[in-house]
Amino acid sequence: MTMGEKPKKKLLVLYASQTGNALDAAERIGREAERRGCPASIVSTDEFDASYLPHEEAVVFVVSTTGQGDSPDSFKAFWKFLLQKKLEKDWLQGVRFAVFGLGDSGYQKYNFVAKKLDKRLSGLGATTIIEKGLGDDQHPSGYEGTLDPWMLSLWSTLYQINPKYFPKGPDVKISQDDLIDQPKYRILYHKQDKLESTLLTDSDIIQRARGMSPGKLYKDKSKPDCFLKMTRNEVLTKAGSTKDVRHFEFQSVSSTIEYEVGDVVELLPSQNPSAIDAFIERCDLDPESFIIVGPRETENSGVNEEMVTQLPIKLKTFVELTMDVTSASPRRYFFEVMSFYATAEHEKERLQYFASTEGREDLYNYNQKESRSILEVLEDFPSVQIPFEWLVQLVPPLKPRAFSISSSPLAHPDQVHLTVSIVSWITPYKRTRKGLCSSWLASLTPEEEVHIPVWFHKGSLPAPSQSLPLILVGPGTGCAPFRGFIAERSVQAQSSPVAPVMFFFGCRNKDTDFLYRDFWESHTREGGMLSEEMGGGFYTAFSRDQPKKVYVQHKIREMSKKVWDLLCGGAAVYVAGSSTKMPSDIMSALEEIVSEETGRSKEDASQCLKGLEKKGRYNVEAWS
Amino acid sequence: MDSMVNQKTVLAVTDDVVLPVSSVLTVMEQLGKERFDPLIITQASTINQFPLDSSSVDAVLAISKTSDFPSDKICGEFSRILKPGGTVFVCKNLEGQLEDMQQTIQKRVTLAGFLEPQCVDLKSIKLSTFSLSFGIKAKKPSWKIGSSFALKKPAKVLLKVNLDDDLDLIDEDSLLTEEDLKKPQLPVASGCATTKKACKNCVCGRAEIEEKAVKLGLTDDQIENPQSACGSCGLGDAFRCGTCPYKGLPAFKLGEKVTLSRNFLEADI
Repeated sequence: MTMGEKPKKKLLVLYASQTGNALDAAERIGREAERRGCPASIVSTDEFDASYLPHEEAVVFVVSTTGQGDSPDSFKAFWKFLLQKKLEKDWLQGVRFAVFGLGDSGYQKYNFVAKKLDKRLSGLGATTIIEKGLGDDQHPSGYEGTLDPWMLSLWSTLYQINPKYFPKGPDVKISQDDLIDQPKYRILYHKQDKLESTLLTDSDIIQRARGMSPGKLYKDKSKPDCFLKMTRNEVLTKAGSTKDVRHFEFQSVSSTIEYEVGDVVELLPSQNPSAIDAFIERCDLDPESFIIVGPRETENSGVNEEMVTQLPIKLKTFVELTMDVTSASPRRYFFEVMSFYATAEHEKERLQYFASTEGREDLYNYNQKESRSILEVLEDFPSVQIPFEWLVQLVPPLKPRAFSISSSPLAHPDQVHLTVSIVSWITPYKRTRKGLCSSWLASLTPEEEVHIPVWFHKGSLPAPSQSLPLILVGPGTGCAPFRGFIAERSVQAQSSPVAPVMFFFGCRNKDTDFLYRDFWESHTREGGMLSEEMGGGFYTAFSRDQPKKVYVQHKIREMSKKVWDLLCGGAAVYVAGSSTKMPSDIMSALEEIVSEETGRSKEDASQCLKGLEKKGRYNVEAWS
Repeated sequence: MDSMVNQKTVLAVTDDVVLPVSSVLTVMEQLGKERFDPLIITQASTINQFPLDSSSVDAVLAISKTSDFPSDKICGEFSRILKPGGTVFVCKNLEGQLEDMQQTIQKRVTLAGFLEPQCVDLKSIKLSTFSLSFGIKAKKPSWKIGSSFALKKPAKVLLKVNLDDDLDLIDEDSLLTEEDLKKPQLPVASGCATTKKACKNCVCGRAEIEEKAVKLGLTDDQIENPQSACGSCGLGDAFRCGTCPYKGLPAFKLGEKVTLSRNFLEADI
């Protein structure tokens, strides 16, 4: 840079992603900016110091909203910083921004995170480049349906503000035959004789493989907390049920197990060995070669010295542990890169079509709605041969799956129990698909002694002290963490008094999917914490046993006086389950109860419950 | 600073402009806290937030002649500044329907999260400038709800915000407009194909209907001897059009029997 030359205009793309969608959108925005000659940095909000925001010239935010209206975990600290009262109204003066949100208009709190962010940024003195874009899962082509036109508007407006942003002009015609992007990773291949002779432990292998993987969301979780082996695999649902729910028990084979009731365990699933072999063969790779994966040097990053000292891993192991080949679907960009590497003319055309704006909807129908896997897509386009660097970048990372623990360290020492519903569904084209992790777990037997890498972490349900009265709502597999709560409390009751528990359970039919029936009923008998005389209760809603649907919220309303009394006595409410509507139905029912019992309006009741939430007396763990 | 640590704090609050110290001390005697040195805030209805740290005060006395004080918001403030186990004592001087008033204040206090509200008759207490009719005494819960846990922190702790302290933050819901709060309009589906499959956690029964309709809808002849006018059917789903009868099936050669696919995640039917 010569004297007097101003630094090049660049773009900062800040994203808050939970499942990777916002990350993909952010990467796409970054790519499009770079194609127009504007360098872009793509950074997660949990890796960016918000106090540096005033120094930025142009920022694009890409933020997801969950069904409950919540922000991604990676956004929470950043958002709290922005909400501070002490920030002045002109704190972000001179900063230009644009917000793109990813949400689902099927929910009340549609794109709340993006809406609030957009408002707050303006309130802090920043200037909008263009109006916020709201991506919608309900749109025929998903969020991309909104992103494409929004981006074009972004580029042209930014160009009008200052042409220096895009030295190559705001409209870029991509030649269909040139792939102008470079892969972000490079692979070093090692000769076998250069290897260490010591045998690596499973733990080391996993840490090494996952540490190298581009799966950005999992950087801090390379080394598993411990390894578990299955000791029990029991079917809980009876014949005639449409669901298959299992009770699994595990023991540690490595370090001691440490967790509290209500915690969450993440398991790394194994992939089907034949599928791995098929993938490796299809991509013309040598499974036995040893590799190191690392970021490629760019003008921004320079030489990566870390790669030189890193230790290699077998290619096949890397694929098994980090690349999701049979379950997650690829993104639109994968099809774009594939089109460049297709040698058959009709395949090339079709792939270019899928990657284009016109083909967006057809791509969504073929790919996302059918839950097409990487392997399936590669088999559908047999002439495509993609270099391994690109595969490492574009194949979705193999993700651990999280489950609420259904055991208690007190009641079940050195064990972990899980309650898992085996996932399976039918696609629009009538193909049957199964969940990777749940199906794999269902297929395991204790005799096989498979070692499962796991990580423990806190969920949204803090362990209650034994003197805290509880109102628990856990329909279906939502009852899992509460099995742990109650088992724990029953051990605690042996030495000192415990507070009562009201437990609301729901399922479809009393005879087929009444999970852990004997366990709950044992605690309703004399002296049990779910018994009436101890101040507790066990209430069931069997939705399909009668013509009219009965759900847990109806049962809660039936018991409104008792619920209110327990709340006044300081009880905490815990809600867990797999429905996306259920938590808000429960919240409504409680609002009605508070409103009735106090004679106040629903708004006041709502405020009261929000207050309880802030104090940790209203906790929800909802999974989909 | 040992003396500071042991000192107990009492806050007396009123919506009046003037409050004699002796009144406060007399009421404090009622609570058995007469040795404490009270802080007094007058015209408290005008203050948004009390200039006191959270969980710093042992007891709060609210003395007032009006029915609105303390409001829900102020009760919330009481809850904040009180230590766990601390006491709130709302003293009123009111004419007329005392029963109703007592109920209202008890409920207000409960809504704010206090426990064990009790009503105390204060008619016997002599104060210099006015008399009291009744008082509502309640406690802030003292247990810890489970152990505290931190949000998953990134490797570098970049932001110096105390994540548990959300009192210096604006109310984020105030950032939403009327429009935002209305139920969103679903986009119109194009064509007659539905835009969504049944949810993975379907509760309405659609998933089962879809599951039952697995029948392929192809004739035996179409399976044994597949033909394609457009030429694309055999190429696989990626090339098939929306109305292709072979949708969902693997690729095939024209004239050769269609086989089941090697779908590794296909459920056993």
